[in-house]
Amino acid sequence: MKKPLLSVAAAAMLVLAGCGSGSSSSEIRLRLIESLTSPERTKLIKSLIAGFEKANPGVTVELISPPLDSADQKITQILQTKKDLDVLEVRDHTAKSFSNNGWLAELPTDTWPGWSDLTELARNKAVEVGGKAYLIPYGFYQRTLFYRTDFGMARPPTTWQELYEAGRRMTTGDRYGYAFRGGKGGADYAVMMISAYNGEALDPEKSFYLKDKRTIFSTPEAAQALDLFVKIFKEASPPDSVAWGFPEMVQGFTSGVTGMLIQDPEVIKTVEESGLANWSTAPIPKGPTGYAFQPVGYAGWGVTSFTRHQKEAVKLVQFLSEAEQSIAFAKGNSLIPISKQAQDDPQFSQGAWKAYLQAQQDPKQVTTIRPVDYPGWSQFTVDSDRDIQSLITGRTTVAEVLGKWDSFWADQAGKVS
Amino acid sequence: MRRLATAAKVVVLGAWLLVTLFPLYWIVVTSLKPQSEIFSLPLRYWPGEVTFEHYEELFSFADFGTYLANSLVVSLVAAAVVTVIGVLGGYTLARFSFPGRGAVMLAYLVTQMIPLFIALAPLYLLMSDLGLLNRLAGLMLVYVAMLVPFATIIMRGFYERVPVALEEAAQVDGASRLGAMVRVVIPVMLPGIAATFIFAFVQCWNELFLAITFIDSEDAKTIPVAMNSFITQYDIDWGSMAAATVVSVVPTLVLFAAIRRYIVEGLTAGAVKG
Amino acid sequence: MSPPRVFTARRAAFVGLCLLPGAVFVAVFTYYPVIRGAVIAFQRYNLFDLTSTPFVGLENFRAVLGEDRFWTALRNTGTWVVVSLFFQFFLGFGLALLLRRHFRGRGLYQAWVFFPWAMSGFLIGLLWRWMFNGQFGVINDLLLKAGVIDERVGFLATPGWAMTSVIVANIWYGVTFFAIMIMAALQSVPKELYEAAAVDGAARLRQFWHVTLPHIRPTLALIVLLRIIWILNFPDLIYAMTGGGPAGGTDIITTFLIQQVAGGDYGRAGAVGLLVLGLLLSFSVFYLNATRFERSR
Repeated sequence: MKKPLLSVAAAAMLVLAGCGSGSSSSEIRLRLIESLTSPERTKLIKSLIAGFEKANPGVTVELISPPLDSADQKITQILQTKKDLDVLEVRDHTAKSFSNNGWLAELPTDTWPGWSDLTELARNKAVEVGGKAYLIPYGFYQRTLFYRTDFGMARPPTTWQELYEAGRRMTTGDRYGYAFRGGKGGADYAVMMISAYNGEALDPEKSFYLKDKRTIFSTPEAAQALDLFVKIFKEASPPDSVAWGFPEMVQGFTSGVTGMLIQDPEVIKTVEESGLANWSTAPIPKGPTGYAFQPVGYAGWGVTSFTRHQKEAVKLVQFLSEAEQSIAFAKGNSLIPISKQAQDDPQFSQGAWKAYLQAQQDPKQVTTIRPVDYPGWSQFTVDSDRDIQSLITGRTTVAEVLGKWDSFWADQAGKVS
Repeated sequence: MRRLATAAKVVVLGAWLLVTLFPLYWIVVTSLKPQSEIFSLPLRYWPGEVTFEHYEELFSFADFGTYLANSLVVSLVAAAVVTVIGVLGGYTLARFSFPGRGAVMLAYLVTQMIPLFIALAPLYLLMSDLGLLNRLAGLMLVYVAMLVPFATIIMRGFYERVPVALEEAAQVDGASRLGAMVRVVIPVMLPGIAATFIFAFVQCWNELFLAITFIDSEDAKTIPVAMNSFITQYDIDWGSMAAATVVSVVPTLVLFAAIRRYIVEGLTAGAVKG
Repeated sequence: MSPPRVFTARRAAFVGLCLLPGAVFVAVFTYYPVIRGAVIAFQRYNLFDLTSTPFVGLENFRAVLGEDRFWTALRNTGTWVVVSLFFQFFLGFGLALLLRRHFRGRGLYQAWVFFPWAMSGFLIGLLWRWMFNGQFGVINDLLLKAGVIDERVGFLATPGWAMTSVIVANIWYGVTFFAIMIMAALQSVPKELYEAAAVDGAARLRQFWHVTLPHIRPTLALIVLLRIIWILNFPDLIYAMTGGGPAGGTDIITTFLIQQVAGGDYGRAGAVGLLVLGLLLSFSVFYLNATRFERSR
């Protein structure tokens, strides 16, 4: 009488086991994971992949698109198992930790004709970590100011003080001046202002430090910057923005809730598609010193050290980085392109892109390198966002936040020789 | 006096029904509005123009059909397995006293208090070693493990409500213990079994955190995983989100309507005792 | 009560066979990873830096207990559990009492009103997040129309309001559970107990107080305990609505835990997890003693 029982259990087990389907063809299947996921971008990558599959019969590529917020954690988790991943998106702040753990393969540069077609910036950033090409960048991010031309501003603000004043004038109750970032990534904007206020004293190569080795958070200028930062939130931004991250900021601007937004070039496309008519762009505001600082953000494609299809994986990265594909990607995603050939492309010098040219030509718009390779970097990104939220909701003070950040980075300086 | 009481009762029940249904109504209305109308003031309580574009988008771009099928398979299989395990395990815990019985009960009860998140990282590595990442089977196994304690304890509660005399009578008639269980006890317990199954199904259908940890391949995503990517995306696409909510709620709604009577009769009694 | 029986080898085999499948699942997929996770709590273990993972004793616990956010989360957890539970319980009780007697359409009414039970906390969170939206949210619109507020409120963005908002959503979600459970408990009261007494209004109240309530008291105590554990371990709704923000204003202990995991610090996450487990275990023991649950078995 025990048999029917056993067979029920056995059947259940079989069903379970049977569900683990495995494809068993001779086809090579590459797994590619992206990090800065968005629906439009995912569509674009899929179309590029289709081109690769067409050019390389017998190779298929599976694209994994984890949600933006948890993507890097997910990628790290997969890398940790050293299994089932061939190509991945590596970002400026994950490159160091991925290569340190030995998860990235060095990419060949001399045997690849596409290498010489990359801009100098692209080649520099490719080898920025460890001096070896662990990734090929696909484009660059730099922030720019988006503003409404029909919200009563004669010209865009050029300093943070002007931005504050213009924003306050625009704030009427239904409408606000500035798409503030109080949520994830908010501290970045505070750092941007603090840097601008420190001005010439700042060391662009190690942008959290001054040339005299103190941290940028230790100066009275930093306190001025952060005071204004809080005022911009309180007087010129929607109260909701205390929790805003990237999507909400962009939506705030495109829906007409706010009149100004500081964001990456990829927003250009979003704003264009939103049907908004009266808007323009300008370089990011400066401090009282006349300087503005910001890093060049980048991300690129890399190959895992444990891939079982090294040849095909490298081929895929090279395919994505060739002029045709990389320009298509930069256009579709509106990024600063990596290919020299894009310099003649009118799309990257017109309309909203003009602000980038303007910033490039201005010697006081300085690009910097953040201390992303310091051991405390990832902890700081998490903690500092929370500090900023506490600050703007009045749970802590400017002095407390700066004191905390100053001692944190002074301590970090000692850990890197 | 009586009439007044009845009237008050009707008013209160009506009000609560309104409070319960309004959010559901609102999500349906949102899903039927064109994108531009969702983000415009004044708010409309009925779409100015009814559109199904968000639903179309779900099934064209997002491949919602696959997610729906995955969720169904995972939830049905896991719930079935859990119910069988619960029927067996609950029986032994209710009808036998044996060494270790208390320990098993305790071990099962404690699982209900463990925050899932401390197990996630090791579980991820385990699943990777077993080759179960991105497999529906892997998700089923984890769900079964997650629900076994509850199902077992709940079933034990049901058995305790069935008089032992019933079984003993059957055994005297010559049936074996298992025969008695199958022929006499289980029919009495059908509502409880159905309720356990439903409960397990709903839990699997709704489970988010394990699924987003173990699944990232498009072809193995379940509905909650897919929906999670809506919130963290570029734009919070409330139109698609609303449509997805409506679609994902339909299967549970159907199931719920079908076995409504068991929920009150069955599920509760077991949980209450367990 | 299980009848005392001789434990023969045959029975042992039967018990083993019935219990084993479930026990194996729980051992492999629950206890093994939980124990591993508990060990990690005593290691320096950061996802983004796994080059060395030495044992550091109680370092993670010290770090967690030294964080203001942990204590904020703990306080919030108290508010979250107590306020949610209070309203869920009394509204659920009221609903159960109203639904106790049969009336025409009761079945249909139950089907609709119990429906939130079948939805996921995550979905409910999204639903309410949309309704509480500061700009296009329907709750703002309704309150404006009713004249309760003069201008739109950023409910989920203002620390005090955010907690209220997530609790409102949680109450909406949880009343059903209590109603179902309490209805079942009410049904377990033997009819004979009632028939003795007459049923005019005052008598009915007395009856409820002296007959019904004492009878279902142990059951209620248990339901409440289960619910406390469950609400405390239930981050889904807050995760979907605010993610614990603004500035930790809606962080409860489990969303705090999620953040530790998301930040890649598994060591601290393990420490938080063990603290939660310890808290729940000791609370349960204390609670069961206080309500003398054991006596009712």
